[in-house]
Amino acid sequence: MPGIDESLLEAMRLPGARGACLVDWISGLALGAVGEAPGGDWEATAAETAELGRHVAESGSLAAGGIAEAGKEPPVEDLIATTGDAYHLLRFVSTPFDSTVFLHLWLGRDEGNLALARIRLAELADRLVLG
Amino acid sequence: MTRVTTTWTRHGTTSEALGALAAEGATGALSGERGIVYLSAGRVVHVESAFTPDLGALLTRSGAVPPDGWWDAVDRGGAQHRVGHRLVDSGRLTAGALEVCHLGALFDAAYFVLTHDTRAQRFRSGAVHWLGAVRSVPVEVVVRESGRRRALLDRIWPDPAIDTLPLARVPGTDTAELPVRRGRTLTQVDGVRTAAEIASALACRTYHTLVELRRLAADGLVRAEPPTAPPLPPGPEPRAVVWDDPDTALLRRLRDALEAL
Repeated sequence: MPGIDESLLEAMRLPGARGACLVDWISGLALGAVGEAPGGDWEATAAETAELGRHVAESGSLAAGGIAEAGKEPPVEDLIATTGDAYHLLRFVSTPFDSTVFLHLWLGRDEGNLALARIRLAELADRLVLG
Repeated sequence: MTRVTTTWTRHGTTSEALGALAAEGATGALSGERGIVYLSAGRVVHVESAFTPDLGALLTRSGAVPPDGWWDAVDRGGAQHRVGHRLVDSGRLTAGALEVCHLGALFDAAYFVLTHDTRAQRFRSGAVHWLGAVRSVPVEVVVRESGRRRALLDRIWPDPAIDTLPLARVPGTDTAELPVRRGRTLTQVDGVRTAAEIASALACRTYHTLVELRRLAADGLVRAEPPTAPPLPPGPEPRAVVWDDPDTALLRRLRDALEAL
């Protein structure tokens, strides 16, 4: 069963992966990180992405309606941001205890495959906490 | 073999004492006014504070691990300081879940130990926590993160009274449309409980509950109850904890509390 580092290293095996981080979206803490950080510093990046993640997780529009169906918190699954040369994929992790974390994977756009990464990151997120 | 170290006593705050112990690569338990920081080879491996639910409370009260399973792991792994490993080896928890919950509890407790950064009281060289090695964090990261967390709370709503006094709802306010966590936190605000008691009731980390409560205060939904006579102590009543001997006293207290649930 993988721990945080093993899960992040596995994410880094995806084509085009530049960096990966596990972020607490209430406090902005980076619980673990591997590879490059998009802004050069994972602590600063985590504080920024946490704000974004929190806004979406708490959004009356974007987070509406999902809870009753899945019983998961937050109802949002993924956030995707694209730039000219990169993809950022944020995957919320649903845990059986109080936690508020997502996985952040930074992919180079030339080699990265967003659809594949989304599926793999979802599997990784589940395996991290559910086995 | 453990070296006797005394340089930490020269420092006026817990964070400075931790820095000195980290520089020496010390192993042991540093007791402060609001909790204990456990070090292994100069890195933080565990933090306990009476102001926050500990790992066992977070795991069992949320239902992630049944109380029987938790106590089985404590019984079988406690003496060898391998409770964390027992939980994972017995299949009750994944390694990732243990690490995420452990780090959550560690930084939560560290916030309370370091936010009132008074002089450290005692260092028990060589002391090891019964949970055992899960994940270690550099002292400087723990200190920096606690400072960042303090600043985040002040950016949300600069009123530290929210963190320690009993909290009440502001009458006549509309509480519809709140995000799930915030709404759940608000349901526990009853004019009597403090933030730490609300966190405990919800099996949530106390810092994360403080964030929700400060946001509720910023939205004008919650306010700190002004102290009535006799004046309330600053902060939740610290339980009668013998910090110097957590291995048996704390375990016994935890078991009693869980059995009373």
